[in-house]
Amino acid sequence: MSKFNRDTFITIRNQESADQTDYISVGMSACGIAAGAQEVYDVFAKQIKSRNFAIKLKKCGCAGMCFAEPLVEVKANGLPVVTYGKVTEEIAMLILEKHVANSQLVNDSVVNIR
Amino acid sequence: MVKRIVLIKDTAATGPDTTRDFYNRFLDGVREHKLLDEVMVVRAADLGYYGHGLVLKIMPNNIVYHNVQNSDIERIISRTIENSQILDDLILNEKPKQIKIALRNCGLIDPESINDYIFHDGYKALSTILSEYTPEKVIDELKKSGLRGRGGAGYPTWMKWKSCRTTRSTPKYIICNADEGDPGAYMDRSILEGDPYSIIEGMMIAAYAVGASKGYFYIRAEYPLAVKRIQEALIQCHEAGLLGDNILDSKFSFDIDIRLGAGAFVCGEETALMASIEGKRGTPHPRPPYPTVSGLWGQPTVINNVETLANVPYIIFKGGDNFAKIGTTSSKGTKVFAVTGKIKNSGLVEVPMGIPLREIIYDICGGTLSGKDVKAIQTGGPSGGVIPNKNLDVLVDYDNLQKMGSIMGSGGMIVMDTDDCMVDIAKFYLGFCVEESCGKCAPCRIGGFQILQILNRITEGKGKIEDITTLKRIAVSMQKASLCGLGQNAPNPVVSTLNYFEEEYKEHIINKHCRAGKCVALLTYTIIQEKCKKCALCFTNCPAKAISGNRETGYKIDQSLCTKCGKCKEVCKFKAVSKE
Repeated sequence: MSKFNRDTFITIRNQESADQTDYISVGMSACGIAAGAQEVYDVFAKQIKSRNFAIKLKKCGCAGMCFAEPLVEVKANGLPVVTYGKVTEEIAMLILEKHVANSQLVNDSVVNIR
Repeated sequence: MVKRIVLIKDTAATGPDTTRDFYNRFLDGVREHKLLDEVMVVRAADLGYYGHGLVLKIMPNNIVYHNVQNSDIERIISRTIENSQILDDLILNEKPKQIKIALRNCGLIDPESINDYIFHDGYKALSTILSEYTPEKVIDELKKSGLRGRGGAGYPTWMKWKSCRTTRSTPKYIICNADEGDPGAYMDRSILEGDPYSIIEGMMIAAYAVGASKGYFYIRAEYPLAVKRIQEALIQCHEAGLLGDNILDSKFSFDIDIRLGAGAFVCGEETALMASIEGKRGTPHPRPPYPTVSGLWGQPTVINNVETLANVPYIIFKGGDNFAKIGTTSSKGTKVFAVTGKIKNSGLVEVPMGIPLREIIYDICGGTLSGKDVKAIQTGGPSGGVIPNKNLDVLVDYDNLQKMGSIMGSGGMIVMDTDDCMVDIAKFYLGFCVEESCGKCAPCRIGGFQILQILNRITEGKGKIEDITTLKRIAVSMQKASLCGLGQNAPNPVVSTLNYFEEEYKEHIINKHCRAGKCVALLTYTIIQEKCKKCALCFTNCPAKAISGNRETGYKIDQSLCTKCGKCKEVCKFKAVSKE
């Protein structure tokens, strides 16, 4: 990597803003991992690859809602950004099938929407 | 095409959950209006509101209705959903209680990608100060912001920086104190794991302001993921030239290393921490001289807490004045609290200073887990004290908590309900401090041990009434004579529980009774003969074989054999075992 200067910052910001389209973001701090976030992340990684979903998979830190870990944030299909809580591997599949593939939110798991 | 999303959640504290029932009714209503294609109805798991009955959140307008009844469905659909009218009698106008500054990027950015941080305004503050600000102006900006150290004592950050800047000696050092050890507190870990770059940027700004050339992260080794994330972040910074010589083509050069703490609580104290970095035994030494004059290897050193440093880029980027608009006169900005214990929604909350404690507990975190009353809140970890239920309306800032006999500390908040025994709590914290005392000075080493012995005696029913006076006397001498904060503050849990719950101590001593049922030695299990159906469940289940009798004559518990495990009470189907 070459050294950053002010111009690189601008390039990166432009590049990233073009890149911030649809994403699934899994909370991967110690609290999330303890609650099973790694398994959930693996499900997403495997399914997105095998079924060719056009969505980016990210890791993020703890959003503070430790009671609802593992947390998964989804931005897809022009819907508002939705945070799902207490996501299990089954719910992860539901998120992919309903939310990502069919623009339907998953019942009984939403903890935040913005 | 979906135009609106309606989220439904029953937030009433009592009664059965009606979310599903209301959801079906609402769906029927939507169907009648032939809007199924346009309106998506979703049952939510949590909307962040508690005790507001049925709550509806309508997106994308972000309208929140509370205490909604079944009879309101028709007008909500016909007026709000079809015609975008707001129903004034149902609307819940509540400003968001949380303001995220230190946690601004946590849960938002990818902590393993420097590009994602840069995209979210990362390094804007650093590039501004390197090109436009003199070090004095940076300190001025900090002064305007009124930022005080978030590690516990609340010393104004700008004063630390200024004192270090004016000391004529080089090299100077910046240390990030990430040795978070209070039981139940983990906000620093979250920031380290979720937003490592903003701490690094905070350290760089501090280094520029005081003229330091080298920084250290002192992280406890029990945080392996935090260490890994910081390590990766430092590598990426090096590769990008954001650490090293001539950063961003300026004259500013700075580098950061990591030092791991082996898990001694006392190493969170700044002088012990520096000794530990130097490779010496982690024991504190007297101040002054303060670290800003003579710190690491005798050189001027600034030691800031993780949360403090995470606030710094925001202050520079948004301006000190903007930061100072949040909070109270003496305490500016926000504070992250780790709310744990008997609480419904445990987790991290970041609230403006001066928020009533009650709002944190009930409005943000949803009250106690059991639904019982809050008995007290322990703040500040083992160095803090308890705040009893009657003082829940206290406005949380550094000075108010101090007046209550507690401290802000690093921000741990442990909620206790009526099932918790205050003597037991004091014993737990004292036990922690005794184990963590480094043993260098006598008041802490001996005083702590003696207090613990007395508390043990009281909880075993062997206490004497004079013990209370003795406790107070030892506490005062520890506070006055201990060398560092650990010993000075170790008796705080005892002092504050004695202050607010002295009658509970007396109950233990005189009546040999623990009202919370926590102190095992003071409990007696007895079988209430009138209720007993002689089913023999307790008899067969007692692991200590302390229950004797047969199905004809009934059963009784032999107190001399009883280990007070509570198994008999647990298995009894007729509530015929009493615990007192």
